Order: sequence, then C-alpha cells, then structure tokens
Amino acid sequence: MDLVNAPEHSLRDEPNLALLAKGREQPDPRRVLADRVDQLYDQLWIGILGAFLLGGIATYELWEPRYRGLVLFWWGLVSLVTIASSWLLVSYRRSRDKLAEADQWLRWLGLSALAIGTVWGFAGAVFFPAHTDEQQVFLAFLLAGVVAGGIPVYSGSWPIYALYAASALLPFAYVLATFGNRLFAELAALVPVFYAVNVAIAYRLTKVFSTGYRLRYAFRELTDDYRALNKRLGDQLQELQEASRQVEESGRKLTLFADRAPIAVIEIEPDGRIQRINPAAEVLFGYAPAELVGKAVETLVAAAARAEFTQQWRPVVESGTPLFAQLIRNLRRDGLEIVCEWTLTPLVNSEGRVLSVVAQGRDMSAQLEAERMKKEFTSTLSHELRTPLTSIIGSLQLVNSGTMGTLDEDVLELTVIAERNGQRLLDLINDLLDFEKIRSGKFDVVPEVIEIDELLRETLLLNRAFAERYKVQLVSSGSLPQLRIRADRKRLLQVLTNLISNAAKFSPQGQAVEVVVEMLRDRVRVKVKDRGPGIPDDFHAKIFTRFSQADSAIARQKGGTGLGLAICKHLMELMNGKIEFEDRPGGGSIFWIELPRMEPCQTPEEG
Amino acid sequence: MPTRPLEKVLYVEDDEDIQRIVRMSLERVGKMSVEIVSNSTQAIERIKAFKPDLVMLDWMMPEMDGPTLFRKMQQDAEVAALPVIFITAKASPRELEELVRLGAKGTISKPFSPKDLPDQLRGLWQALPD
Repeated sequence: MDLVNAPEHSLRDEPNLALLAKGREQPDPRRVLADRVDQLYDQLWIGILGAFLLGGIATYELWEPRYRGLVLFWWGLVSLVTIASSWLLVSYRRSRDKLAEADQWLRWLGLSALAIGTVWGFAGAVFFPAHTDEQQVFLAFLLAGVVAGGIPVYSGSWPIYALYAASALLPFAYVLATFGNRLFAELAALVPVFYAVNVAIAYRLTKVFSTGYRLRYAFRELTDDYRALNKRLGDQLQELQEASRQVEESGRKLTLFADRAPIAVIEIEPDGRIQRINPAAEVLFGYAPAELVGKAVETLVAAAARAEFTQQWRPVVESGTPLFAQLIRNLRRDGLEIVCEWTLTPLVNSEGRVLSVVAQGRDMSAQLEAERMKKEFTSTLSHELRTPLTSIIGSLQLVNSGTMGTLDEDVLELTVIAERNGQRLLDLINDLLDFEKIRSGKFDVVPEVIEIDELLRETLLLNRAFAERYKVQLVSSGSLPQLRIRADRKRLLQVLTNLISNAAKFSPQGQAVEVVVEMLRDRVRVKVKDRGPGIPDDFHAKIFTRFSQADSAIARQKGGTGLGLAICKHLMELMNGKIEFEDRPGGGSIFWIELPRMEPCQTPEEG
Repeated sequence: MPTRPLEKVLYVEDDEDIQRIVRMSLERVGKMSVEIVSNSTQAIERIKAFKPDLVMLDWMMPEMDGPTLFRKMQQDAEVAALPVIFITAKASPRELEELVRLGAKGTISKPFSPKDLPDQLRGLWQALPD
C-alpha cells in the first residue's frame, strides 16, 4: 500500500447537514394543516355520536303530541346530518391523498359542522317558545352543553368551531331576545359573551395544536437528521477503523521488511538528519541506533566523499528525484572506509513535499575487491603463465626442429608430445582469457574492411600444417572476388581457425575439410564441412555453451578446451554476425558463419 | 627497405631461460649476432656500446619496464632512431596498439616460435622505411 499517497479521508463529498437542517425551522404548513385536518376527522365521530345520542334524548324529552310532526321532522334532520357526516368521515378515511386535498376536506368538515350546528340551532329556535318551562331549561342546558362540547371536537380549527357555535346559538339568541321576557332578553345579551369566550378558547386551542404539530414536525425531522447523521458517522467510523487497521498493518509489514532485510535501510529527514536505521545498518556501520538517530547522515560518509555526496543529496530532497545504485564511500564507527551501493528514494506526499528519504544500501567493498583481484589475477595469469610456457614451447620447438642436431627417434617422439601438450596448455589459457574478457564485456573488436577471398587464402595457409598433422586435406571452393566485409580480421581468423581445426581433428584420415564461401542477399556465409562423426542429437542444444564437449574421451585425445565454440559464438555476435551448424548429408557436419556484406559502393577504394 | 641485411640484435629481457632460447634461435637459426641485456637500467649504455641494427624489448621487467625504457631511448639522440620491437605476454589489442602508437616498429607476442622468430624479425626489418 502506498502510504504516502493514500487517499485522504474527508467529509467533503457528504451533503451538508447544516444546510439540510435549514428550512426545517419552518415546517411545511401544508403538512401541519393536513395533520390538523386529520386530527379533526379523528375526533369527528365523537361529534357525530354526540349529536345522534343527544338528538335521540332531545326527541324523547321534547315529545309532545301537539308537535309530533315537528319533533319527528327534527329527528329526521338529526339523522340526516349524522348519516351525512358519518359518510364524510368514511370518505376521508378512504381517501388516498390526504395531504394534497387537506383544504378540501377541511371545507367539507366546515359544512358538516355548520349542518350539525344548524340542527341544534333549529331545535333551540323552534322548540324553545312552544314548550314548557322545564323543557326550556332542558333546551338551554342542551344547547350550552352542545356548544361547550364542540370545543374539543372542533378546536383543531377555530373558524369551524366559530361557525358551528354561531349556527347553534344565533337562532336561540334571537328567540330569547324576542320572547318578551326581561330575563330572557338579558340571557340573550349574555349569549354573544358566552359565544365569544368559547370561540376565544377554541382559538387558543387551535394555536396550541398548531404549535404542537409544528414542534412535532421539527422534532421528527430533527430525529430523522439525527438518525441519518448517526448512521453516517457510524459508517465513517467503520471506514476510518478499516483504514487505520490497513495503515497499521502496512506499517507493521514495512517495519518487518526493514528489520529483516539483509540490506541497510536508513530513513533520513529532508534536512539530512537520521530518523531511524534497521538492524542491517547497525551491523554495517557498527553504531547503535541511539548513537545515530538525530545525527547528520554525513556522519556515515567518508570525509573525502562528503562534498560529492552533498551534490547527490540535493536533487533528492529538492525535487524528489530518486538516486539509483550509486557507489558512495562510507565511514564505519571504527573508522574503516567501505564502499556501498545506495539507492535513495524520497517519500513525497500528495503536495509534492519530500517527507523523508529512504536509503537502501549494501556493502560493495568485498565485491569490488573481488573484481579487482579477478582483474589482477587475469593479468597475472596472462603474464606469469605465458612466460614459462614461452621457455617450454620454445625450447622444445628448437629441439624438435633439428636446429640442435638430430635426436634419437624415441626421444624425439617424447619431445613432440611435450611440445604439443605445451601448445594445448597455451590454447587453454588463451581461450580462458578470451572468455573472461568477453564475459566481463572488456573484449575489443576492431573492425576493418576485409576482402573475403584474401582472408580465406590466409586462413587456409595458416591451418594447412595443422590439417596435415591429422592427415586431412584442406580444400576450398567458391570465390567472391572483390567482395568485402567489415569485421575484426584477427578475431575472424580466430573463429575460422577454430572451425577448421575442429573439422580436421574429427575428420577420418584421408578425408577432406571443405571451406566454401557463398553470397546471400546481403550477407556472406562461409561454410566449413567435414566428414567427421557429426554432432549427437542430445548435444545440439549446448554445443555453443562453454566447457561442452560431446565426448570427453575424444576431447582428451584430440585436445581442445571446450571453450572454442562458445568464444566463436560471442565473437560472431560482437561482429554482428552469427554462427550455426547443421548435419551434412552423407555424414559429418557443416558449421557456418555469416556476416553482413558491404555494398561495393560503400568501400572506400571504389568510392 | 633498409639496404643491408639484419645482422645485430640487442634483446632486453630479465628471464634467463627466454634469454637463452632467443640467443639460440637468433644465432643458430637466424645466424645473427645477439647481445642480451638482463637489467633494463643498463640497457642504453649497452646499446651504445653494441650498436645493434634493431632492439627487442620485453614489456614487463623489474627495475624499469619496457615502455619506460623505450621512452628513455627516444629522449637519447644517440639511440632514438633505432627500430624497437616489443616482445610481450600481454596480448590485448588495445595494449599492442598503444605500443605502436608510442613508436614501436612491431610487436611479437609470447610465446613466440624460436624456429620462426628470425624470419619474423627479418620481415619486420624489411618493412622498415629506409
């Protein structure tokens, strides 16, 4: 996990809760109205039931044979109004969109209240003058009770209550005023006061209910907000905990990596002070962490290399450029200088600021020393082995050439063996040195323009004596006069000599080794064909790898180091050419090399 | 090509065995007159005394190595004009090129063939400008 560039956790993408809550300080009035209408209808059944029961009681109490028709008519009105109101209540209950049609329902309710009030008003106006004193008292109480009982039923809307109470009381008040009785006239004057007091109470109650509904809404929405907030906070807390767990885990892993790493790891502040070091660094430099933490990192750099280190350090902290595989001379606690290879990686945050630099280093002293020793050894091998071989081979050559007088035949045979093996040892040394140089990339190829025919003539001349030793003929065919290639003459000779001497060594006596030159479209191919035993199938894959010889018994007998073809392959590749082999029809092998040819117009001689 | 044949060769070499082989090769096979110098610090003095046609130098020697001796010869007017050939066990093309750049007339790598050495020297001698 990328600790440095880990995504930041923020609440930026969450909707603004403060904004969300705003506007709820004033709850939607339509909702409040709908709630009030709902409450009014909730209580309507009390009004209906009350009207029906009181209507029944009143019918019974006011029953007079004289007014039978009028009382029955009134009873019919009561029933009609209560049935119509019940039907309204049922309709409201069944309606779907109570919120949108709240206004409408309120109006219907107003009509219902007006109807019920009017029924009572009718009773007061019609029955009061015609009945006995007792019945008049009953009626007065009934009306007062009905008007007072309307308060809890209709107080959700004071205008409805005002309408209801007015329709019940006005006809009664009118009857009282016109009765011709002084007491009744005074009572009639009190009715508006009674009415006003009741309406005022209803008005207060309406206000209280409205406030109650508004508060209920505000509370409900607050509760909703609170719940949403709580849930969001819970989610975020969980995410944070998960992130924190991941970071902690990554941190533990990183610490583990650093602690167990075999390389030195040092974390450095941008100002160059050491923040912490791992155990490998402790071992490498010989310091305890406490001795280094807070110290300048230059403490670990050899005095002579400090200026250079400062130059290398600057871009790392200034522009966050990492430094790769840099050799730096370091100083141990015991004063010993070592050379380490360092990789400096700046830890950069999302704003591009370098937080710290992680330096990973390994001691290269031993490796560099080993390389130096190998180089020295190679050079020594070259000189110290060749010098005695010069004496050995030289002496034997002088003896074998007959310059020192003729020798006994048995002695001569032995000195010839000695010379041949001296030569073999020399070949091995040369091959090893060549191979080592190729491997370390220090092999020089000096290309020059070569006329291919001329080169092949020289090759055959140089190898004739060797072929004769194995009683093998060396013949050439094909000629490409004027054709030039660009290659290292000495190295190309070395490759061809290697191929020809291999072919000669493995050819049966009396056979010929053929050297054939062919021209391809843009390349020149030189083939060396023999009639030897051929290359075994299982050896095909590794013939160009070092120290590979198909048959070690033959190798001992014929000589050779097992490096020849591996070197040839490298040399051909260095000269942009290639080397391959194939089975020769009729027995034997064909080894061939290919090199790009030069176009005639490119040669300086003809230009 | 020099008008007279190669007759006198002086060889500076610290290895006694190689000294002997070169002497035998040049005297017996090549029929030349040979002077061997073991200590390179005495070489210039001995060259002046022997007056060879050609000088052969070993590269690696104690006291003073071949290239240093060669530079000293070039600074000494009396011997500066003498053709010098290096015989060396160092075989890298770069090092051999360096010797030719210094003014050597040729290089022969060790191990050389004592049978062919006189012919090799004569070949280089004949390639010299007059």
